[in-house]
Amino acid sequence: MSGYSKPLPEMGEETRAFWEGTRSGQLVLQRCVRCAHIRYPISAYCPECLEQGHDWVPLSGRGEVYSSIVFHQVYDKAFADDVPYNVSLIQLDEGPRMFSNVVGVPPGEVRVGDRVRAVFDPVTEEVTIPRFTPEDS
Amino acid sequence: MHSLKDRTAIIGVGATPQGRLPGSTQLSLAVDAFSAALEDSGLRKQDIDGLLTFPGTTAPEGALNYLRIGEALGIDPAFTGSMAMGGGTAGALVQMAAMAVESGHATAVACVFGDAAKTGGSRFSRASGWGDSWGIWGMMGAAANSAVAASRHMALYGTTSEQLAEVAVACRRHASMNPAAVMRDPITIADHQASRFIVEPLHLLDCCLISDGGVCVIVTSAERAKDAKQPQVLISGMGQAYTTRTLEREDWWYVPHQKEALDRAYAMAGMGPRDIDVAQFYDNFTISVLLWLEHAGFCAPGEAGPFVEGGRIQLGGELPVNTAGGNLSESYMEGWLHIVEGVRQLRGQGGERQVPGAETCLVTGRGMTLNCSNAMVLTKGEVSA
Repeated sequence: MSGYSKPLPEMGEETRAFWEGTRSGQLVLQRCVRCAHIRYPISAYCPECLEQGHDWVPLSGRGEVYSSIVFHQVYDKAFADDVPYNVSLIQLDEGPRMFSNVVGVPPGEVRVGDRVRAVFDPVTEEVTIPRFTPEDS
Repeated sequence: MHSLKDRTAIIGVGATPQGRLPGSTQLSLAVDAFSAALEDSGLRKQDIDGLLTFPGTTAPEGALNYLRIGEALGIDPAFTGSMAMGGGTAGALVQMAAMAVESGHATAVACVFGDAAKTGGSRFSRASGWGDSWGIWGMMGAAANSAVAASRHMALYGTTSEQLAEVAVACRRHASMNPAAVMRDPITIADHQASRFIVEPLHLLDCCLISDGGVCVIVTSAERAKDAKQPQVLISGMGQAYTTRTLEREDWWYVPHQKEALDRAYAMAGMGPRDIDVAQFYDNFTISVLLWLEHAGFCAPGEAGPFVEGGRIQLGGELPVNTAGGNLSESYMEGWLHIVEGVRQLRGQGGERQVPGAETCLVTGRGMTLNCSNAMVLTKGEVSA
C-alpha cells in the first residue's frame, strides 16, 4: 500500500471525522445544528444558513446513480492502469450528492438510476476511500 | 436595471493565427491580437482608455495580467482589471466593458486574451473540488463535467451519441469554410462514432481543441461606432448568471444559470429565439450546444437531440450555429472567437460562411466547472445612407 500515488485527501481538522468514518466502514457527513441541512462537500460553514456548528451524522451509505461516466483518457499517470474506470455522481438517500466510483460491475454497465451502497476501500494505512457497488450485490 | 440596450457597440475585433504556435507566449499572443483589433477598429492606440484581460491558462502573473499586458501595450488606462472565469470570461469582460463605457469610466475598452495552451503547458487536466479534490476518485479534466451532463441528458431524454455528433459535424463543416480554422477537413457522424472515447459518453470528436492564439474585442459607445471604419455592431442585450454551487445544487449538471443569462439578454434586447438569425454557442463539448439550444428556447428541455438532426444547425438550416467552426473546430479560444464571428456575421464579412442578411446574433459563453455563463444579443447597426 505504500506505493499509492493517486490523489489523497488532506487530513485536516475540518475533514478528519469524514475519513475516520470511512476507515471504520461508515459514511458520515456534517449536519447543521441550526437548520439540519446535511452538507457536502465538507465545509466550515453551512451553505444554507452559514452556521458553523454541526454534528457528524452516519448515513445509510445508500443511494442511486445520478450520472455515470467512464474515463478512457489518462489525465494523471497514476490512473494509467485503471482505465477504463467508472466515475459516478451518487445521489445519497439522505440528500447530498458526491462523486465516487461504482465498482464490482464493468465500468460501462452502470446506469443512471441504479441503486448502490457504499463500500470502503483502504488504499493506505490512513485513508479509506468510499466507493459504491450495486445495492443487491 | 438601467438598460444598456443598443448603448454600446463592438467597434473592433482581431485575432492572431490559431493552433500550434511554438515560441508564442500569452503575452505575445495578447499583444498581437490587440494590434489586429486596433487596426480593424480604425482607432489609434491613444484612444484606448480601458483594458480588461483574461490571463488564460499560461500567463505566469495570473490575475496581475492587466499590469503585464498594459505595460507591454504602453497603455495607462482609466479602467482596467483581469478576470478568470474560463470560457465565461470573454462575454463577462465585454459586458463589463460596455458597463464602463456607458457609465463614463472609459470611452474605448480593449478586452484582451492570449493563451499558449497548446505549446505553453496548460492546466486543463486538473481536478475540480475545493477541499478534498474530486481527483481522489479519478474525476478530473474538463471533459468529465460535460460527460456528466451528457450521461444524465441521455438517461432522462434519450439523447444519443449520434445526435451529439451532429454538432461536431456542423462545426467542422463551418470550419471547412473558414480559412483561419485549425481543423478544416469535413467529418461524418460515422467518423465521430469511430473516434476513441475520452470520457464516455464523449468521444474525441465531442471535444474542443487545445490551441495557441490571441483575440481582442474593442467596445465603445454606439454613437462613436457609427460611421466608423467598420459597420456598426450593437450590443443590444446582455445577461450573466452563475451557479457557484456544484454538488450542493441538484440541477448543476443542467447548467440552469444559462437560461437566466439568456433570459436577461433577451429581455434587454426585447427579443426572443424567433428573432435570432445566427447563434454562436459556447461549445467546449458537443453536449453544451444541446443545452444552450434548450435554455435559449429554440426547443423544449430535453428536445435538443432531435432538434440538431438533419442539418438544422448547419449553414442553410433553420438556425446556423457556430458558423466559424466554434471551439470544436475553429480553435479553442475559450469562446472569444465566438464574439468575433458574431461581429463578422453582422458586418457581412463571413465570406463563404456568411448567413445571408444576418441582422441578429446570439453569443454565449460558459466557464469553469459549468459555473459561469453569459449571453449577448448582438445586432447589425444603422447603415448610413
